[in-house]
Order: sequence, then structure tokens, then C-alpha cells
Amino acid sequence: MLKMTHLQKVYRTHLIETYALRDFSINVAEGEFVAVTGPSGSGKTTFLNIAGLLEEFTGGSYLLDGVDVHGLDDNGRSRLRNEKIGFIFQGFNLIPDLNLFDNVDVPLRYRGYGAAERKRRIEEALGRVGLSSRMKHYPSELSGGQQQRVAIARALAGSPRLLLADEPTGNLDSLMARGVMELLEEINGQGTTIVMVTHDPELAARAQRNVHVIDGQVTDFDAEASLRQSSSAAAADTAIA
Amino acid sequence: MFAYYLQLGLRSLKRNPILTALMIVGIAMGIAASMTTLTVMHLMGSDPIPWKSDKLHYVQLDNWGADAPYTEDGRPPDQVTYRDATALMTAAKADKQTAMFKVVKPVQPENREVKPFQAQGRATFADFFAMFEPPFRYGHGWNRDQDAGHARVIVLGSEMNEKLFGGQDSTGRSVRLDGADYTIVGVLADWKLRTRYYDLTVGAFAEPDEYFVPFTTMIDLKQRASGNNSCWRAPGTGWDAYLDSDCVWIQMWVQLDSPARLAEYHAFLDNYVNEQKKLGRFPRPLNNRLLDVNQWMVDQRVVSRDVQVQTGLGFAFLVVCLVNTIGLLLAKFSRKAGEIGLRRALGASRREVFKQFLIESGVIGISGGVLGLVLTGVGLLAVRALYAEYKTVATLDLTMVATTLVLAVVSAILAGLYPTWRACRVQPATQLKL
Amino acid sequence: MEIRPILSALMRSKVSMILIGLQVALTLAIVCNALFIIHERLQRMDRPSGMNEADTFIISSTGFGQGFDVKSSQQADLALLRSLPGVADATSAITVPMSQSGWSTGVSLKPNQTTDTASTALYLVDAHGLSAYGVQLVEGRDFKPEEVQFKTFNERVVPTSVIVTRALAQRLFPDGDALGKQVYYDNEGPASTIIGIVERLQTPWLDSDFIDNSTLAPVLFPYGNATRYVVRAEPGRRDEVIKVVEQKLQEANPSRILSKVRTLEQVRAEGYANDRAMAIILGAVIFALLAITALGIVGMASFWVAQRTRQIGTRRALGATRFDILRYFQLENFIITSIGLVVGGVLAYALSLWLMSAFQAPRLPWHYVPVGFLCLWTLGQLAVLGPALRASRVPPAVATRSV
Repeated sequence: MLKMTHLQKVYRTHLIETYALRDFSINVAEGEFVAVTGPSGSGKTTFLNIAGLLEEFTGGSYLLDGVDVHGLDDNGRSRLRNEKIGFIFQGFNLIPDLNLFDNVDVPLRYRGYGAAERKRRIEEALGRVGLSSRMKHYPSELSGGQQQRVAIARALAGSPRLLLADEPTGNLDSLMARGVMELLEEINGQGTTIVMVTHDPELAARAQRNVHVIDGQVTDFDAEASLRQSSSAAAADTAIA
Repeated sequence: MFAYYLQLGLRSLKRNPILTALMIVGIAMGIAASMTTLTVMHLMGSDPIPWKSDKLHYVQLDNWGADAPYTEDGRPPDQVTYRDATALMTAAKADKQTAMFKVVKPVQPENREVKPFQAQGRATFADFFAMFEPPFRYGHGWNRDQDAGHARVIVLGSEMNEKLFGGQDSTGRSVRLDGADYTIVGVLADWKLRTRYYDLTVGAFAEPDEYFVPFTTMIDLKQRASGNNSCWRAPGTGWDAYLDSDCVWIQMWVQLDSPARLAEYHAFLDNYVNEQKKLGRFPRPLNNRLLDVNQWMVDQRVVSRDVQVQTGLGFAFLVVCLVNTIGLLLAKFSRKAGEIGLRRALGASRREVFKQFLIESGVIGISGGVLGLVLTGVGLLAVRALYAEYKTVATLDLTMVATTLVLAVVSAILAGLYPTWRACRVQPATQLKL
Repeated sequence: MEIRPILSALMRSKVSMILIGLQVALTLAIVCNALFIIHERLQRMDRPSGMNEADTFIISSTGFGQGFDVKSSQQADLALLRSLPGVADATSAITVPMSQSGWSTGVSLKPNQTTDTASTALYLVDAHGLSAYGVQLVEGRDFKPEEVQFKTFNERVVPTSVIVTRALAQRLFPDGDALGKQVYYDNEGPASTIIGIVERLQTPWLDSDFIDNSTLAPVLFPYGNATRYVVRAEPGRRDEVIKVVEQKLQEANPSRILSKVRTLEQVRAEGYANDRAMAIILGAVIFALLAITALGIVGMASFWVAQRTRQIGTRRALGATRFDILRYFQLENFIITSIGLVVGGVLAYALSLWLMSAFQAPRLPWHYVPVGFLCLWTLGQLAVLGPALRASRVPPAVATRSV
């Protein structure tokens, strides 16, 4: 589903070079729920940005659902993002000027669905997160947990293959956080791949697999499985070639 | 605290230089447009003789023909006939009175160095000087006896005295106009009239009169007026027939020192016209008017429609500029939500925040006002370039400078009220979540 | 495509929208009416006088002293002027078109008519009048030298033969048979015969409601000791002729005062100075208004973009292309501008109605408003382009950045 090999991200200013990621490799299989953990500044967010096609990388390769994203132009990346990825942000990132219905509608608009299709998907997505009754409400009228549910609904509405979550419970109290976590597990159970960035070990423990990032490099706690999978994926690649 | 906020305001101006520049230029342009046009309109229409403008009245009698009124809206003629002017002068029922007309005569200087030239002057009566109060540099006006005696006397304007006598005291000397000699009895100092309000029939912004001579003397010399002449029926042949005709070509002013005197004079005029009706003149219904200086200026549209439209436009433009400023201030202030939250958290009351941002608006207003003042100066220069005759009214005086600055600050503060109010409502908590 | 969500987002920030909308509305109302006034003035200034303006100038002579004989001086001057090289023709005259001063009178079809049939300006010229003015005779004949009378101030002027403009002929005799007809310039006096018709000659008053009604009469009429001459130079020689004329007239009789020469082009410029000034001032106001409005849109849009950076990042993260973002802001501006324009259209007509009642201005033609719509739409789209492009360049990674 998501395969990064020897990925490198360097920020260059005229004085210094800073490695956000150096030689970063990871392979996430379809249907997995992976938690990416690590201290502040370890490169978690950079990883997520690159995984979500929000940023470009400076070296290595990245295959998203079999598509080599290197060399895609901005429009191509936007389309891929829209079709394959759903985002859940720490700060929810709901658009304050739009009500819940319109917020969930945003990615569907960019997908180009017709009005009926969009309506069906929005209602279904909001139903899944239990907010059908509040479609006309504005984000500011909701609690943090509810806002994050809307964000999840927005992420799900386009039926993405991959859900990227950035500290999805970071701004929530523990009760709300548990609810959101349960929702994510449920979604994963229905087949959506989830990659979640968090610094909360308790949360990470609930994922199927943990990947620890330190100083821009990966320590895979399930290295064997990862190695096995990556070699088989490499074999498959060779076979295709 | 005021000084502190002033300092903050000035620093804030520097922080977003482009936005700040947009606001200041916006206010300055609005101020300049409105103040340029307002100055012209204000000076054009301003009372030229405020201490007695309500006592000086312009006499209008409706001697027009029965078939058609003088103007379509039924106003009486803007001048009177010689016959009526002399009758009113002889009756002398007002406190002071003068008939007058514009003359243009060749001047033949004694000094051979100065070439003969045409000069515009005014044929009038002795009361003119007491009524309109031109400032004398040397001598004085002539007296009523000299009117009666058809005296060959003259009062020179300062410019003509400069030209002929180098600005020296020339009273007692004589000057030759069109072959006749006149004794100089007085010389005026520089008479600064924005509008030549005592004769609006040939344009309010025409060149000033260069000399004054007795009306009676000019009639002796069969001197024709250089102003307008209107007849509703053809005058007969010859000078005497012309004087006796219903042609209007003379301006008539009276000074009436109280409302009672005004009512009395009105009654006298009505009575006069009714007497004339018995002689077969004045076929139209009674339609006498005694407008005072300001009414007469409005009647004669001294402030032209164009100038009024321009002034309206100038202020509409200012409104647009203010709307623009409100928007930009809103933008600027809402970027400061964090700062406001912090200040509130540190103990600033809403009131203090309000003061701070209102003062910042005021700082923008003053800056816009100063720039606007400069642009108003430029605007007035442009008006003078476009309208040669407006040179006396397109100037900045102290009141207008003060008005400009006040208008700018008031405008900016008005524009700043809503954005400031919004800024005050920032909740400290929401901005300090992290 | 996505008008509704934009609209609902706008409704959440009503004040900003109202401010821009109001600005657009006021701008439209003022610009439409100001443009119309400018158009009127330009049209007014474009009216032909009927004279040859390029080659013609006027000069006045005032004699003084007892020895001055105006009649002989006038004859001598005219003979001198016509003999000068480069002079095509010259006449004595009391006035010219656009000079704002002259004579007018009523014309009647019958003697002792109570109301005149038409008003007309009276041009008193000699037999060289038509040629010196450069007006075009379309019917009948020119004046003959023997028809020219000499009159002074206190004599009644009743011409026996007159030449009128086509407009006046039409007004007096709508059937088009004015030539040879008798009309009355003096209620009691003898009739005058129309011996010729000229294509066009304006009255001297630019504001008169009978501007094309003029009469030429063969009368030499000095104003006291003053005479005005209209001199037409051969094409292209005006400026050299002016110098010669000034010098020769002064030499011929030193005991007189010559006025400054005014070319017909100067007379026109002075006559229309106020219209020209009004057009320039209104033009400047229109320019300033559009500039302020455009700058206001740039300022507000920049602010919105800055305020919504995170939102833009989120949209980008959710799959919006750069073009989607650009289009969002262009469309948003289009919506605000359109709302402002609808209000402005109403304001424009209201302002026009007010100008009509307060200043007797003519009604604003309907097409000014749609043209104004197009201008302001374009202005808005151009003004918002910069901020919108900046918005489209917001990187999607902004979305994951912590607050």
C-alpha cells in the first residue's frame, strides 16, 4: 500500500543542510494499522507530509498503492491525494465558515462527483461517525471530539484506501480520545489501511504494528515482518519488470 | 497611557507597510478630493460682506412685456431700466442707494511712456463706497452733491494707480479717459473680492473694476454700458429714446438697516410700480424682489451646478475611501487577535484595548490628513489650471486646513470604530490555547 | 460549480463582504453617472460652429479723442486688411460663435405678432461676411456691397435683406421654402427678405436653446468708437498674418487701442473651458475611484488569503489542485462583485434620478450600467488575481503544521 525506500528529505538553506529524513524505509501493507511514534523533531510530521503527498522528498523512492509518486506534477499529486488518501489532523482543520455537510463535501467536490452521489456519501460518512443529526451545524458549535469525528467523516467520505492520522487525539481529553480511537479501529476493521502518527505510547500500543522514528530513521519493531514483506514486494517488482 | 498607545500605533504602522500605505493613501485621496471641491464651493458661495450682507438688497422690478415673462420660471429681469433707476435714486427712500453699470473706456496716460489702454470701470453713485466698503489708500469717495453736479471726478483702483502714478498718492491730479479729464478724489487699497458680488450679471469671477466714476457724468457723456442689455421691445431712435425705453441695463442696490425698513421699502416699490401701471408701463403682475447679498448670489448661481456636482462627487469618493479603510482596518486588526488575547490575559480591560486601537486609527487619520492636505494643495493648483477664473476661490485658508485635518481624523476614527469594537471582543482564552 | 458553499462561507463573514460589495456598488453608481456626464460634455464640445476655425482670428480697435471718425477708420482698416498678403478675406463684425456675447432678437412671420416665431442671434457683417466667416451658402445669394448700411448705436437696425441658417429657415418655414420670404425682426418695423441660406452658423451662446438659429445682416455697426474685425487667413498662414495685421493696423492709425488678437481656436477653448475642466475632473475621479476599489479588493483578498492559509492547506490536502484554489478566490470575488453590482445598478439609476431633479440633468441611458458591470467584473477579477495566485501557492503541508 505504502512503500518508502531509502527516502531522504533535506531542508537546505544557504548556510546549513538539515536532514529531516535520512534513509527512511517503511512498507505498510494493505489493511494494516500502523502507528508511527517518536520524539518531537524526529521526522514524524515530515514522514506524514511526504506520505500524504503534501511535501516532496529529495531522495529515495515512494510507491503509493503501486504508483511511483516521484515526478508527478502538482495536479497529479492533488488528484492522487484526493482519490487514495484521507487525512485526519491533530487540529481537525475543519473549515469554520462551512457547516458539517459542506465540510465533508469539500473533498467530494474536488473528486467531481454529482450532487446525488455527494449527498449519499456525506450522509453515509456522517452516519458512520454518529453525527447525522447535526449536518447543518457549524464546527464552532461542536465539542472537540465531535469535530474530530467530522474530520474522520470527511476523510472517509471519498472511500480512501489509506487513512493518514496526525495525533488524532492530541487535542482531546481521554474519554473523547478513546471514542475516536475505537472509531479508527472500526474503520480499519472494515479494510481501510491506517497510518497514525502519535507520541502517545498507549495509543500506539493499540495499533497492529509500531514504527519508531528517531532522527529521521526507522526502527521497525516488527522488523522481521517488515523485512519479509519488503523483500517479497521487491521480488514482485522484479517479476513485473 | 496615551503616549504609550501612540507609540504602539506608530510602530504598528511600520509593521504592515503595504497595508498601512494603502489605508493612508486611501484616506488622503478621499480627503483631497472632498476638500478641494469643498474649498472651491465654500469660497465661491461664502458671504463676501458678512457684517452687512443682510442689509444690502438688490432691486428687481418686473417691467417686462405682457406676452412673455423675462424667464420661464417667472423671475423678474436681473437689471432695471434707466428710467426706474433714476426715479428710485431721486426718491432716495432707502438708507443708502446706488444704481450702477459697467463701462469700458480708453485711458490716455499723461506719461508718454505708458501706452493708451482699455480699462474696465464702474459708473455709480456716491453711496457705493459707504455701501460696499472698499478700502481707501488715499482720499475718499465723492459725495452726493458731486453726483447731483455731474462732477468729473474719479476713484482709482490700486492697480490702475500703480500703472499710472507708480502707486503714489495721486489725489488731486487728473486722468484722461476717452478725451475727457477727471479729477482723482480717492485711490483704493488692494480690494480683495473673491466674487464681484455687486455685479453678478457679467459673471461673478470677472476681472475687478479698475476705476469708479459718477453715474450722472457718464449719462451726460452718453456712455453706453458694457454689460448686458435686454429689451422686450425695440427702443426708439436716439440716446434719449434709449434712456426712456424699457430696456434693462442697470444694477440697482439699496441698503436697508432693519427688517422694518426693508418692509417699508418693499411697500414703496409696490406703490411705485402701481403708479407706473397707471402710465401704461409694467403690464405684468406685481413681481418686485429685494434679495439680500447671499440670496442674490444663490439666485445667480455663483456656485455653479458643475461645482456642486463636483463637491457631491468628492464626498461620495470620500465615502468609498472610508469603506475601503474600514475593510483594511478590519483586516489589520483581526491579524492581531493573538496580541489582543495576550494583552487581555495580562490584564488589559476591553476599554484599554478599545483605546489602543482607536488611537491607532487616529494615527492613520492624521497621517492620511497630512498627506491629504498636500494633495488638496495639488488639487487646488489643478483647479486653477483648469478654471482660469477661479484663482480667487481655489486657495487654502487656515479654516480649510484645520477642517481638512479634523475631517481626516474624524473619518479615520469613524472608519476605525467597527474594527476596534470587533477587536475588543476577542476572547483571551481562544487565542491562548497552546 | 461550487457557488453555494462559497456563498454560505461568505455569509459567515458578512461584514467584509458588505464592505467590498458596498464599495463596488458606490463605484458603479458614480462611475456610470460620471461617464455619462463626460460623454455629454465631449458631445457638446464636438458641435461644429459652422465657421472656418482653423484660419480665422478676431481683433478689435478702439479709437479715442475728438478727432476720431469711426466710419472712415473702419473703411480704411477693411481696405488695408483685405490688401495684406496671406489674408483671404476680412469683415467687420460684432461677434463670433462661442464667444458667449452678442445680440439676439426675436423673428416673426407677421408684424405685431404677440409671440415671436423663433429666436435668433444677429450677426452684423458687411458684404464680405460670409467669406470672412468661412460659412457655406447653400441657397440664394450673398450680400451685395450696395446693400450694406452704416448704423451707429442709437439708430434702429432693421436690415432689408438677411441670410439665415438652415436651422432657422426650417424653424420659420417648415416646408423648406424660406428663400425669398419676408420676416419681421422688429415688430413695428419694415419686413426683411431672406435672400440666402447658409448651412450652419452657431449663435455666440453655447448654452442657448436656439444655438443653430442665426441671422446675418449687412450692417456696419461700430460699438461707439470700437470695431471688431474677423480676418480669415489663407490656409496655414494664420500665425504669420496675425503679426502683420497687428503691426499694420497700429501703423495706420496710432490714436487707437488694439485688443489682443484671439484666434477662433482660442475662442473655442475659452468657450468650452468649463466643459473641458468638468470632463477632466470627472475623469480623474473615475480613475481614482477605480484605483481605490481595485486596491481595496487587493487588500481584502490578501487578508482573506492570509487568514485562510490553513484552510487552503487543508483543501489542498483534501485533493484541491492549485487551479481549484485559484478558481475559488476568483469565483468568490465574482460573487461579491456581482452582489455589489446589483445594488450599484439600482444606486446608479437613483443617482441619475436625483441629478435629474436637482440639476435638470438628462436621464442616464440604460446601457451605461451593463457596460459598468463588465468593467467592474473585469476590475475585480484582475484585482483578486494576485492574492488568488498567492493562495494557490500555499503548500498543502500547512495543514499538518501545528497552530
